[in-house]
Amino acid sequence: MTIKHIVKTAITGLRTNRSRSILTIIGIVIGITAIMLVMSLGAGAQNLILGEVQGLGTNTIAVIPGREPTGPSDTAQLFSDSLKPADIVALSKKANVPGLVSIMPTVLGAETASYQSNAYSVSIFGATDLIASIFSLNPSKGYFFTSDDVTSSNDVVVLGNKVVEHLFDGTDPVGQKVKIKGRNFKVVGILPASGGGTLFNFDSMVIMPYTTAQNYILGTNYFNRVIMQAVSDAAVPVTSNDIRLTLEESHGITDPTKDDFTVQTQQDLANRLGTITTALTWFLVAMASIALFVGGIGIMNIMLVAVTERTREIGLRKALGATNSDILTQFLFEAVFLTGIGGLVGIILGSSLAYIISYILSAGLHLNWQFVFPWLGAILGFGVSALVGLVFGSYPAYKASKKSPIEALRYE
Amino acid sequence: MTNIIEVKHLRKTYQDGDAEAQTVALRDVSFSVRKGEFLAIMGPSGSGKSTLLHLLGLLDTPSKGSYIFDGKNILSYTGDELAKMRNEKIGFVFQAFNLLARTSVLENVKLPLAYSDIPEAQWDEKARAAIEAVGLGHRMEHEPAELSGGEKQRVAIARALVTNPDVIFADEPTGNLDSKSGKNVMSIIQDLNERQGRTIILITHETSTAEHSERIIRLIDGEIESDTKVARRLKASDDLVK
Repeated sequence: MTIKHIVKTAITGLRTNRSRSILTIIGIVIGITAIMLVMSLGAGAQNLILGEVQGLGTNTIAVIPGREPTGPSDTAQLFSDSLKPADIVALSKKANVPGLVSIMPTVLGAETASYQSNAYSVSIFGATDLIASIFSLNPSKGYFFTSDDVTSSNDVVVLGNKVVEHLFDGTDPVGQKVKIKGRNFKVVGILPASGGGTLFNFDSMVIMPYTTAQNYILGTNYFNRVIMQAVSDAAVPVTSNDIRLTLEESHGITDPTKDDFTVQTQQDLANRLGTITTALTWFLVAMASIALFVGGIGIMNIMLVAVTERTREIGLRKALGATNSDILTQFLFEAVFLTGIGGLVGIILGSSLAYIISYILSAGLHLNWQFVFPWLGAILGFGVSALVGLVFGSYPAYKASKKSPIEALRYE
Repeated sequence: MTNIIEVKHLRKTYQDGDAEAQTVALRDVSFSVRKGEFLAIMGPSGSGKSTLLHLLGLLDTPSKGSYIFDGKNILSYTGDELAKMRNEKIGFVFQAFNLLARTSVLENVKLPLAYSDIPEAQWDEKARAAIEAVGLGHRMEHEPAELSGGEKQRVAIARALVTNPDVIFADEPTGNLDSKSGKNVMSIIQDLNERQGRTIILITHETSTAEHSERIIRLIDGEIESDTKVARRLKASDDLVK
């Protein structure tokens, strides 16, 4: 049999039972649509998260106190006070960490800020003037504090958008003084709204020099996080290793498993978040595959009915010279053809739905969400749907090919 | 003249549901058919004539006995080899026509070619020639549902002819037709035998149909009861003129 004839026969066979063919395909369509949708939205979510992480600059390295627990039996103390000013001095030495271009110690706290009769719960973020360049922050009004402010622990603050909204009823905050823990701080600048969804949201933060925060608010001499920048992306691995070695030496640690700090790179974070979203996506794909499996059983069911219904036709074809493998090929191709069409429709439907959802997310929720056409999903979806036809069509096709021509011709 | 079919001590039994009971469809049948002969096999239902047709037509294999077809011992053939033989050497015409629905006359007649070694470029020409030969040139693109019973059977004959087979098996070809259409079909079959020299094996239970042949084998209970020449052969075309 020629391929052309096989295709023609399959089309005739499926056209003869048009509505039944369509109903059978629906199972496959739903399965593939679900897979496409999940994969497209998964990729979109991944891009969104990674985009935000990488928006911080992929050359950024952070050190946090404490070590990550390696398992449930790891009863490490929190070492929350392990990062001291001496570490900053050690890290700043070119000889210790040659790849470092900037270093910024930061502290965190929670307090209540007030202006006249208004009060609002805020996060205190103590940093240096480098914060503006590291986080790409541009005050919508006023300016950021300077390195002099940091050195002399001046009482200056920059306010996030929500803090401004809650404390100042329309008055211009720049130049005004807000009260935190009984002390007055001069507002030198305010930040624009950073929008929903960002990982680092400064909207409800009060940003001030870390020295000011340590001296007048937190009363501590350690850091919650030290943020550094390597000279280039390529220098990140070497630099982060230098940072680790410097801190181990500074803390007198010889066994790296006993480190009382953790070095995090943006690249690590991106990889880790990428792994999580990928795992989640595949988990959902596995769920969607159940629909495809059910669709496959539907195909098998219908093909078995078709084989019984077309017993006479099989007998006739055999009488006219069809071999067993001719019949097998014919029915198998019909099943694969059916599921292949289902796969194509599913790919089109799934990506259209994903496109619409992406549009709603970006236009309706102001997320930086972009539609991703899941090529892998499309190729996989089409391949799997054809495979479903092959797997679930093979038993009915085998049954058809084994029919004796006389039984088949006698069948009424 | 050479024999195209030689069967000796042919026996066919069927296993019934339980292993003990056996149905004997053919007991012990021996005969031969010359090339170009027109043979009719007659018998009441249950006489084994359908079983015999299936064995002779290579659709089934005997339980015992020997079968030489066209000089070859086909009992040693594999399923695929038998399929090839059916395709190239044998044409079937069935009582129920067995045309594919929703498929044009032309495509129906091409069907055996799809399973043959004949290059696709020749299919159209061969199929059209076969359809012209049964007088349905004006019906090429029609579907079976648009045809009368007689026309359907003529399409079936064209389909049987398209691979240019040596033997045509016709199983009650007029059974579903009115007498005029039946005569028409019989005249075509007679024509195939007389003008083209094809061997015809006709299965029927009607004496009037059987008498179009040269020789009649009567079966009863799976055995040959008689094997006689037809003394006064009917000519279907004569009846058609009247």
